[in-house]
Amino acid sequence: METLFSTIDAAYMSKLLVILLQGVLTSLRIFAITLVIAVPLGFLVSFAKKSKYKIISVPINIYILIMRGTPLLLQILIVYFGPYYVFNLSYNRFAAIIIAFVLNYAAYFAEIFRGGIESMPVGQYEAAGALGFTKAQTFFRIILPQVVKRILPASANEVITLVKDTALAQTIGVAELFALSSKQASFKTSVIPLFVAGIFYFVLNWAVTAAFAYFEKKLDYYK
Amino acid sequence: MAVLSVSNIKKAFGSNVVLTDISFDVEEGEVVAIIGPSGSGKSTILRCINQLETIDGGQITLLDDNMIAGTSPDGKPIYSSPQVLRKMRLNIGLVFQNFNLFPHFSVMRNVTEAPIHVLKMPKEQAVEEAKDLLAKMGLSDKHDAYPYQLSGGQQQRVSIARALALHPEVLFFDEPTSALDPELTGEILKVIRGLAREKHTMVIVTHEMAFARDVADRVIFMDQGVIVEQGDPRQVINHPREERTKLFLKRYSEDSQD
Amino acid sequence: MRKMKGKKLLALLLAVLMMATVFVFAGCQSNQKEDTQDEQQQTEETADVQEDAAADTSLDDVMAKGELILGLDDSFPPMGFRNDENEIVGFDIDLAKAVADKLGVTLAVQPISWDAKEMELNSGNIDMIWNGMSYNEERDEAMNLSEPYLNNDMVFVVANGSEIADLEGLKGKTVAVQNGSTAQDILEASDLAADITVVGFKDNMTALLDMEAQGCDAVFMDKVVANYTISANGKDYQVLEEGLSPEVYVIGFRKGDQALRDAVQQALHELKEDGTVAEISTKWFGSDVTIIE
Repeated sequence: METLFSTIDAAYMSKLLVILLQGVLTSLRIFAITLVIAVPLGFLVSFAKKSKYKIISVPINIYILIMRGTPLLLQILIVYFGPYYVFNLSYNRFAAIIIAFVLNYAAYFAEIFRGGIESMPVGQYEAAGALGFTKAQTFFRIILPQVVKRILPASANEVITLVKDTALAQTIGVAELFALSSKQASFKTSVIPLFVAGIFYFVLNWAVTAAFAYFEKKLDYYK
Repeated sequence: MAVLSVSNIKKAFGSNVVLTDISFDVEEGEVVAIIGPSGSGKSTILRCINQLETIDGGQITLLDDNMIAGTSPDGKPIYSSPQVLRKMRLNIGLVFQNFNLFPHFSVMRNVTEAPIHVLKMPKEQAVEEAKDLLAKMGLSDKHDAYPYQLSGGQQQRVSIARALALHPEVLFFDEPTSALDPELTGEILKVIRGLAREKHTMVIVTHEMAFARDVADRVIFMDQGVIVEQGDPRQVINHPREERTKLFLKRYSEDSQD
Repeated sequence: MRKMKGKKLLALLLAVLMMATVFVFAGCQSNQKEDTQDEQQQTEETADVQEDAAADTSLDDVMAKGELILGLDDSFPPMGFRNDENEIVGFDIDLAKAVADKLGVTLAVQPISWDAKEMELNSGNIDMIWNGMSYNEERDEAMNLSEPYLNNDMVFVVANGSEIADLEGLKGKTVAVQNGSTAQDILEASDLAADITVVGFKDNMTALLDMEAQGCDAVFMDKVVANYTISANGKDYQVLEEGLSPEVYVIGFRKGDQALRDAVQQALHELKEDGTVAEISTKWFGSDVTIIE
């Protein structure tokens, strides 16, 4: 196995870290922007799915079905290249990645939220109604805080997956962490860059896990 | 004077008729107990008055407010304006069989949340009133506890305090002891007795015959969506006139002996 | 090298899925009649691409934007790859820069996924694929190709000290290739195929690592890449002298972009004449190994 390490020296390692940190920044940008848009959008989608108007609920159902039923990889290709085949239009790669990730993750978050909302006992709505709370008050004061606690574990799964899914951005040439590390692996014919990238992903998800553990603990004051 | 007047209420879930032509009045300060077998529609009537279910016909009047404003051409009742409905709702306090406390709020906040955000009561006043109510419920040491830390009986007392915090004209109890272990029902019945002594107007749906007989001014016996007979508790429970009432009470006393 | 098998199918699938998505967002009014219309529309679009040849503005467009965009999978040393400064360098990059200078435009390099290269080219995101791309008939049909500019042999790489010395010695052994590469095609079509086991990997690097871990006995790959890996990274490998059919590298342009293709070809010719090509080739390969005329 010595040969695996033969071409890697300390000077290269420091260069590698600099390159991979650039990749981390790109991955984090994809991660953060996706999360900030997909979470609220997921909420809207979860309500739209429950809409009593078929003109809203049916398309939303189909949207969720497609997003969850096809590979994200394919969705990225469609979002980026699709506009060209339909409208003869090509656009920014990074924007395409964000759109594809947001569309995909909003669908998953919507299903998590819907599960959380539907798991709420009807008695909570009835008690709030009997006490004279408006619909908005009932949702924001009574239902939502309890839903957040219920969906935290499932959301943590989704967010951790998102960190790793950012690697798919390389499909359309976005230079994120995994893309840059595989280029370096080819350049040096060595798996070391990939291992280092693995450590970065691990650390990122360690931080995500710790953040969720913190929130779960904060909401642990009631059962 | 009748605080609450229910007349000719009809209600069906699909083809399943639950209430046929229900009428009764509740006078100020009166305690009315509604008894009857499961599925007789006794809980449904409470839920209709509380707007948790819609009615298919009839009228419900609380003080000066009518729940139904008119009738549509196809015979369906037209509900009054949201303002009127809201006012009616706030004049009724409801205590659920399963308490339905808000688990993420402390005991204090369970009681003060509605006065502060629904009645727009100043927070200090809401807290003061809540302290008095909780003291009356014997829960002065539980202000900061969360519902999961309380026994069923304690939770039900919190929910009674929560309902009273809005100063309702009428207090409804929907089988308030059914979800409790037998040894805990006593503390709830004691609280309701206390409220009766203070001349709270109350409607109680219950299985506790002895309690209904002791605390109620009037007992209504319902079966299969109709009021079979009503009147003085001792007369209805000890000397029922109707066959169906006799049958129910006979079966009930047999069950109780098991 | 890598090839384009199945790309047309993917493009078609994409188009169909897009149409489906458009239906969904248009409120699910899909019916038999509209389906037929969409098929027609698709046929028309294909026709459009071919008509472009009639009004070929490809060179003018590049001159107007002052930029020539080269698409590459930047993990293919020494043709085009990222060095330890994270810069995209390589023989192809140096040559393309010289061509761009000649044309009076700047060269922009756009990393792409090799699997999506056809779509990247057709959607106009890049002007050409210039990345040690081997010639084959499918590519000749799908793109407008340049004249060959470099010979590329496909060679077998074995670990130093391996008992395998020639093609005969490979019999009964396991040979690794990059998935979807022309190496895979050539190997599977060769006389050897019946006597060896072929395993596919996502790239040459993974195949070589598998050989180091003794998962396979040899790797069949591009000679230029093999030589670079051995010399630049000091790998303890050996290249068998006996190989299979030789290949050539070409540059791929859009089908209709004849003017741009000709201008690049002409520039290459002039660069060969004035010695620039020899200079670049010597830098990367030690001598002028190009076959530009």
